Amino acid sequence: MSALRWTWLIARKDLSVEFRSGGRLLAMVGFVVLAGFLFGFALDRSQVAGRAVVAPLTWLTILFASTAGTGRIFDAEEADGAFRHLLLTPVSRPAVFLGKTVANLALTWLITALSFVVLTSFLGARVSGSLAAHAAIFLPGTIGLAATGTFFGRMSRHSSLGDSLLPLLTFPLLVPVVFFGATASARVFVGLPWDQVSGLVRLLWAFAIGSVAVGAALFQHVTDE
Amino acid sequence: MTLEGRGIVCNYGPVRALAGVDLHASGREILAIVGPNGAGKTTLLKVLSGERAPDRGEVRANGSVVSGKDPAWRARVGLVSHRTGLYEKLTVKENLRFFAAMHGVGGNGRGDLAAALEAVGAARLAGWRVETLSRGQRQRVALARSLLHDPEILFLDEPFAGLDPAGAAGLEHILLARRATGAVVVLVTHDLRRGLRLADRVVVIRRGRVAFDGEAVEDGAAELLKHFTTAPPGPS
Repeated sequence: MSALRWTWLIARKDLSVEFRSGGRLLAMVGFVVLAGFLFGFALDRSQVAGRAVVAPLTWLTILFASTAGTGRIFDAEEADGAFRHLLLTPVSRPAVFLGKTVANLALTWLITALSFVVLTSFLGARVSGSLAAHAAIFLPGTIGLAATGTFFGRMSRHSSLGDSLLPLLTFPLLVPVVFFGATASARVFVGLPWDQVSGLVRLLWAFAIGSVAVGAALFQHVTDE
Repeated sequence: MTLEGRGIVCNYGPVRALAGVDLHASGREILAIVGPNGAGKTTLLKVLSGERAPDRGEVRANGSVVSGKDPAWRARVGLVSHRTGLYEKLTVKENLRFFAAMHGVGGNGRGDLAAALEAVGAARLAGWRVETLSRGQRQRVALARSLLHDPEILFLDEPFAGLDPAGAAGLEHILLARRATGAVVVLVTHDLRRGLRLADRVVVIRRGRVAFDGEAVEDGAAELLKHFTTAPPGPS
């Protein structure tokens, strides 16, 4: 069986489990809505235009919400020891990593779309620039978030600190994603031409590809005893 | 089919879980591994199945060194543990189909899945979510999952835990049938009497060493219990 088929089957299984249990998704959605609500109140719009801060706040909301969800990505696997049995099948470790990353990514996209809508609404920021341009920035950024979160989500499982270790491990590594992503999104929001954005998007793609490649290569070391 | 462990040493940090274990098991044989709590039974099973690499020593199948890093070896191994390893939110059929696909044995083959469930007396559970099943029903499904790919070696870690008498009898029947096919069956259990009744050979592990290795005698529990408290040979 090909690694791609394994990846697809693991991702499909994870999403089936996720949508049937719903807890993690619901927590992420609740976090985004509440964050947008609070940001809306916290911002003095007579002093600061919503458009000036919507990009960084959206990226931070996505980061925090996805990290909160990522901490639970292995819950279903650990609940009754299923991960032990999965690892004892011939499936390759990179395929396990990629499958779980794809499932994580699908949820991160939902959160991203919701964050975008909620934050622009609550902050009163008119969406400028095409949605395709925004999506072209979010796509590589969320791949980097999902891959990094999946890898360290597994690693934090081995630690006595558990999920509380996850932000400590991932946030420093994700500084480039937030910086490049928020800067690129902000430039689109203020209507700058794409050639002033494309360099940042290339850096996001480099991070995304690197995090997927490194995660797939090293996943065995955080799974096998 | 033969399975052999040679000089297996395993440490968890400063704690030595296995201190040079040698054992072998053959096809058409049920090997029971027994011993007191913390003796190293489960660690030994993990090493033999390939879940954990030994710090020293090796595992051989038919004379060749095998490793859990080798997918071909993992395809030859089945595992049933006291934690059933099923996804609670999926149905029984979805669980089996998923694991069948992971083993590359016809994940969509309804006939195969139905036959596997039929073999463990769980055919009527196919459409049920695992979260709705009793402990015994889950264990039957876990057993069906472990047999989907027709493993040459079946490892069982406390499989009788939580089973009612009917469930335990059903499991015994399946293990005996598995032995008849020529498979190696390695059973880790606390239940000494059941282990002796089922097994052909018994190995007592104590403090990470083999304290006894010999024929399983059904009424030999009292004699065997002496090895639970007597220090095994070798340096301490």
